Amino acid sequence: MTTIEIPQTRLETGYDNTAEDCINREPLITGEATYHAVTKIVCATPEARRAPKIWYVCFTISLMLLCVLFLTIAYQVFTGVGVWGNNSPNAWGFDIINFVFWVGIAHAGTMISAILLMFRQRWRTGINRFAEATTVFSVLCAGIYPAIHVGRPWFAYWLLPYPNIMGDWPNFYSPLLWDALAVGTYSTFSFLFWYFGMVPDLATLRDRAKTRTRHTLYGIFSLGWRGSARHWKIYDRGMIIMGGLACALVMAVSSTVSTDFAVSQLPGWHETIFPPYFTVGAIFSGFATVIALAIPARHLFGLKDLITERHMDNLGKLMLVLSSIVLYIYLIEFFMAYYSGNIYERFAYYNREFGPYWWMGWAMMFCNGVVPQALWFKKARITWWLSLPIALLALFGMWTERFSIIVTSIHRDFLPSSWHMYSPTIIDIGMFAGSFGLFFTLFLLFCRFLPMVAMSEVKSILPQSHTHLPEDCKDAQ
Amino acid sequence: MSTYIPSMDAPVEEPALYGLLAEFHDPQSLMNAANVLRKAGYYRWDCYTPFPVHGLDKVMGQRPSILPVVVFTVAALGCIGMLALAWYCNAFDYPIVVSGKPYWGLGPHMFLAFPVTVLASVTTTFYATFIFCKLPIFRHPLFTSERFRRATDDGFFIAVEARDAKFDLKVTSELLNSAGALAVEEVRD
Repeated sequence: MTTIEIPQTRLETGYDNTAEDCINREPLITGEATYHAVTKIVCATPEARRAPKIWYVCFTISLMLLCVLFLTIAYQVFTGVGVWGNNSPNAWGFDIINFVFWVGIAHAGTMISAILLMFRQRWRTGINRFAEATTVFSVLCAGIYPAIHVGRPWFAYWLLPYPNIMGDWPNFYSPLLWDALAVGTYSTFSFLFWYFGMVPDLATLRDRAKTRTRHTLYGIFSLGWRGSARHWKIYDRGMIIMGGLACALVMAVSSTVSTDFAVSQLPGWHETIFPPYFTVGAIFSGFATVIALAIPARHLFGLKDLITERHMDNLGKLMLVLSSIVLYIYLIEFFMAYYSGNIYERFAYYNREFGPYWWMGWAMMFCNGVVPQALWFKKARITWWLSLPIALLALFGMWTERFSIIVTSIHRDFLPSSWHMYSPTIIDIGMFAGSFGLFFTLFLLFCRFLPMVAMSEVKSILPQSHTHLPEDCKDAQ
Repeated sequence: MSTYIPSMDAPVEEPALYGLLAEFHDPQSLMNAANVLRKAGYYRWDCYTPFPVHGLDKVMGQRPSILPVVVFTVAALGCIGMLALAWYCNAFDYPIVVSGKPYWGLGPHMFLAFPVTVLASVTTTFYATFIFCKLPIFRHPLFTSERFRRATDDGFFIAVEARDAKFDLKVTSELLNSAGALAVEEVRD
C-alpha cells in the first residue's frame, strides 16, 4: 500500500505554495480546489449585497479626485495651456511626464496576459484579468494628456488623414503621429482583449444571477455565451491570435513613445537605447502596479486561494529581473555619455545627477535600481508589508525617471541664456491627482461588479481538468 | 367564470422538442461520452463545459477554424493599406520635404503600418470569433433548462438536437445513459 506524501512545508505554513520542488509541484490554487469553489470565491464580491467598508471610503476619495480632474480639464480647455507650468525651453512638462508614466503602467496587463500566455506560464491565470484591468484603465488615463496637450482638443481630428480644404496631409514622418496611432491601437486592443477574456465569466455571473436586473445586464454583456465546445475551440484560437499580436504590440508601444524623444536631437533624448529602455521601464512600473493592487485586493476580497503567495513570489522575481535591466540601462547611459566624448552629452548626464534636479536623478536610481534588489530575498517577495512599499517606491521611482528624462534634458538648453527651471502649477498637480481618481474609480467599480479573476482559465488549470483522449479516437477527424 | 379558453384558430401547441441534455460528472467522462456519440454517427450535437477542455474538438471531430486565415487576410490588407496611404499622402498627392528626408521610406512608415496591422487583426479576431460562434444570441432553448445554468460553473453537458437524422428520443437517451450520463432530460423550446 502506498500513500501520497505531502511535502511537509505546505502543511506547516498553510498558504505557502512557493516551494520549488521539481518532483512535487506545489498547486497553483490553495484551499478547496473544486470548480464550484473557484466560482464561489470569484463571484462572492460581485454578488455581495454590500462591499467592504473600506471600498466605500476609497470610492468616495476616488470620485472626489475624479471631480478634480474634470474641473482642471475644463479650466484648461476654456483658458488655454498657459495654465500649466510649461515654459520655454520646458515645452514638455507634467503633461508628457504623466502620459509616459500611465502608458508605462499599462504594460503589465499585456505582458502577463500575452507573453506569459505564449510561454505557457499557468500561474498567470490567477492575476491576468486583474492586470488587464489596470492596463485598460491606465491607457485611458494616459490618453487624456495628449488629447488636451494639443491645446484645442476640438481640433484633435486634424491628426487624421482626411481630405481637407487645404489639400494637405499629416506628416507621416512625425513621431507624434506614430505615437497617437500606437497608443490608440493599444487602448483599443487592451479593451477588446480584456472584454474578450471576460465573456465566459460574465456568463457565469448571468447564470448565477438572482435578480432580473443582474440577469439582464450580465446577459447582455455575456453575449449569450453558453460554453459550447465548438465555441470554445474558435474562442481559444482567437485568444492565442490576440495574445501573439499583443506580444509584439507591447514591445512596440513604449518603443514608439520613446521615439518622441529619440528622434529629436537633444542630448539626453537622442539615444538608440531608448526603445528597449522605455519598454523595460514600462513593464517594470506595470508589475509594480499589479503588486501594489493585488496585495490589498487579495486580502480584501478573499482571493488568497486564487492569487496565492506563489503568484506574489513570481511577480516579485519578474520585478527583480526588470529592475536589474533598468539599472543596467541607467549605468550604460552614463557610460555612453562619458564614452561619446561629446561635451553636451556629458553635461546632460552630469546635470541629471548633480544639477538643480539632482534629487530627482538620485531618487530614480535609488527607487528603481537599488530598493528592488531586496527582492532577491524570498521574504521580501512574499511578505506584504515588505513588497508593498517596494512596489510603491518603484512606482514613485518610475515617475521621477520620466521627470528626469524630460525636464532635466530640456531645462538646460544649448544656450545658457535660455536656461529656465520648470515647476508645475496647481493645475498640473490637480490634473495628475485627478488621473489617479479616474484610474481608481474605474478600478474599484471593476472590483465590485466584474469577475476579478478569470474563472474559466483558473478552472482549466485545476488538476482534475486534465483529460486524455480515448484510445479509439486518435485517427478521428 | 373567467377561465381562458383558447380559440380554435389559435391552437395551443406543445413547445417543440429541442433535444436531449445529458449531464456528466467530469471532463474525462464527458470526453468518453463524446467519443461514443461521434462513433454512433450523430452530427447535430455539442458539448458544454465551463472551460475549454483540450482534445474535445478532436473527439468531436471538429474541423480547424478558418479564423487565422481570415485574420491574416485582413491584417495584410491593413498593413498594405496604411503603407499605401502614407505613400499617397506624403509622396504622391502632396510631396513636401521635411528635414531633407526622402518622400517615401519603409523604415519610418513601418511605425504606422505595424499598429494598423495589429488594430486590423485584433478587431477582426474579436468580431470574427463571435460571428463564427453565431453570437450574440440572447434566446436559446438550452437556457430554459434549470440544470444547464451550471454549464458555466461546474457542469459538463452534452446536448443532442432533435433535428439530427439519427435522433430518437428513446434510443438516444439510452445511448447517453450508457455512456455514463448522470442525468438526461428533454429540452423544449
